[in-house]
Amino acid sequence: MKTLLSRAIFGACLGAMSAITAIADEVILTHDKAFYSTFLQAVGDVCGFKEQAYTPPEQFKAFVQSSIASGQTPEMFTWWSGATFRDEMVATGQIAQLDDLWAELIANGSFTAASADPFTVDGHKYALPLAFNKWVMFYNPTLFAKAGITGEPKTWDEMMADADTLKAAGITPFVATNQDGWRGFIWFEEIMIRLSPEKYLGLFDGTTSYSDPVVHQAFQMWSDMYAKGYFSDPRSNQEVVDFAGGGGAMNLMGDWAVGLLTQAGMEVGKTLDAFVVPNVSADTPAGMIYEASPLMISVEAAKNPAVMDAMRCWASDEGATVWANTSGLFMGNLNAPAPNAIVPKINKFSIDNNAALYSRWWEGVPADLQGDSVAAFASFMLNPTMEQADKVIAQVTGLHDAYWAEHK
Amino acid sequence: MTLQTTALSEDDTAIIARLKRPSFAGIDRVQRRRQFWIAMLFLAPAVILTTFVLLAPILFNVWLSFTKWKKFTGLDQFAGLANYTNLLNNPQFGEASTNAVIWVTASLVLPVGLGLIFALSLRGLPFENTLKTIIFLPRVIAPTSIGVIWFYVYAPKGLLNAGIEAVSGAPVDIGWLYQDNTIMASIVVTYLWQNVGLVMVLLLLGLAAIPKDPIEAARMDGATPWQVFVHIVLPLLLPTLLVVSMLSIIAGFGAFDLLWVMGLGYPGRRTLSLSVYMYFEGFSKGSWAYAAAIAVVLGAITLVVTWAQAWLQVRADGLKG
Repeated sequence: MKTLLSRAIFGACLGAMSAITAIADEVILTHDKAFYSTFLQAVGDVCGFKEQAYTPPEQFKAFVQSSIASGQTPEMFTWWSGATFRDEMVATGQIAQLDDLWAELIANGSFTAASADPFTVDGHKYALPLAFNKWVMFYNPTLFAKAGITGEPKTWDEMMADADTLKAAGITPFVATNQDGWRGFIWFEEIMIRLSPEKYLGLFDGTTSYSDPVVHQAFQMWSDMYAKGYFSDPRSNQEVVDFAGGGGAMNLMGDWAVGLLTQAGMEVGKTLDAFVVPNVSADTPAGMIYEASPLMISVEAAKNPAVMDAMRCWASDEGATVWANTSGLFMGNLNAPAPNAIVPKINKFSIDNNAALYSRWWEGVPADLQGDSVAAFASFMLNPTMEQADKVIAQVTGLHDAYWAEHK
Repeated sequence: MTLQTTALSEDDTAIIARLKRPSFAGIDRVQRRRQFWIAMLFLAPAVILTTFVLLAPILFNVWLSFTKWKKFTGLDQFAGLANYTNLLNNPQFGEASTNAVIWVTASLVLPVGLGLIFALSLRGLPFENTLKTIIFLPRVIAPTSIGVIWFYVYAPKGLLNAGIEAVSGAPVDIGWLYQDNTIMASIVVTYLWQNVGLVMVLLLLGLAAIPKDPIEAARMDGATPWQVFVHIVLPLLLPTLLVVSMLSIIAGFGAFDLLWVMGLGYPGRRTLSLSVYMYFEGFSKGSWAYAAAIAVVLGAITLVVTWAQAWLQVRADGLKG
């Protein structure tokens, strides 16, 4: 009996040790996109990593920053591109350079050299693309047809006329949301690039003040749209459900949303399509907002062959194909199939019109200014009057002017 | 009064003489020293844990608040009182402090008041234990889950608005968690729902410890129930009330989860309380030294309140005695 018991204990200890070793050997991809968990794990099954989600983004940021501060940088994780990528990640010295891997990927024709631009700091490449997305206006062709609208708007005025037609037909033209507390800047940035891309880009380095008349005009247009009843209730935190359920005929989102929308029951070509938002003035060059999501590894993890294999596999034709087929996202691998009919359509528009790509406001502005400013924009969405807009403009102008006075 | 003395017997004198001999005194010292080290051995885990897990991080945090530590740099740069000066000059800190005071006051007065009413009124009712269990039940749910549940109760198309609509017959569109004038009250109600059960249980324990004799004597003397409550029950319950109040105040200052989860869509979420403001500055903006200064202020306020409570406790114990 005693022998049996001791063998059982020994067996249990051995089992536990094996399990611990297995966990220790497993490559973990940490991210904040819980809605991608299934898709990420599908690639992980092929490439040998396990996904682990932290949500919402605020908690994820806290986790990553405290991990880096304590010398325990996650081995493989996602982040945002732009100023926060440069100032909060690469500047720590904890992010591995991936110059050699990028050289392989460019040499074998999987990626263009330009694909690495959003992840390049001082000539070195620090991330692979999780996704390279463009922000477009999704619309529901069935609801358009119901309102008697044929075709997509080619000018801003046509888009507003369509909104009027939809409203008259009892259909809310646009979905609005403050989901997860960060959506406040989406319409602001879109209206800004449709008015003046130069002024928009100036917000990133302080050359444009938020007291600029163009900013005021953007808020005026936004406020007018609310006043005309073009938007759904911005207090909803179910953006995808609202749009897929017919709560609005159009919704401004990144093309990363195709997978989520089709999962929610929309069908590309039938109830779901997209167009690039037209400019307010015909003189403004064609352009659109892009969002590049970096996938990084720590300096320590780069020494682990299993992590490097997982990264290589991620960007491979096989990894990119699984990613495209499951998530509906385009990561930039030219050999992977188009994830859906919308991505090539938008890419064609981009090529045909020689469209410029502008960073999202979130990635473009200094990280110090993101939280307070986006909260101010959100307060406008909840009270979309010009009185509130003036308060928001004054508040954000103060924040940004103070920052640039110190950081010029 | 005369001091009575008793003469020592011969045996007593002999024992004292033996104890005073050098060899016995040495044994005593050795024993005492050994007992001291044994006591130290038993105390060691607690001392080590308290030192390294509690005191050292607190001191480290105080030191951090005097540095320029921000996003992985500046840890070695001394900032003097700059972080504290910035705090005092920042209107967001003032807003967060005001909200913290409102939050702490509400989370103290309401649970203690309602908990006392429940504790007094439920005694002797049919299904007393079932009712107490139902009131206590929310306490066992994680605050984050409670926040998520109530987020949907307060949603514009949520349960609360639907209920008001059903009663009033008119359409209701209140964004309880989006408006300056409703968000704090909404979260306080949720906090009350979650915590009143615990306060009630603690007060029930206090009530059970009150001796029956003075109450019965007062009743026999013709005191009304209100007079019995005000002049006998309440003074005897005061020490328990002080403990409950102190726990509520500390919990109020430290409250984060409910405010964070339920304030998700509220633009002013970062200033809902000092703890939320500290989290935002520390983990969202990466202003770690500044957040450390907020933590020091928060800790100091809690310490002062706790000291005040301890002082009152001593006075209350004196009254009871």
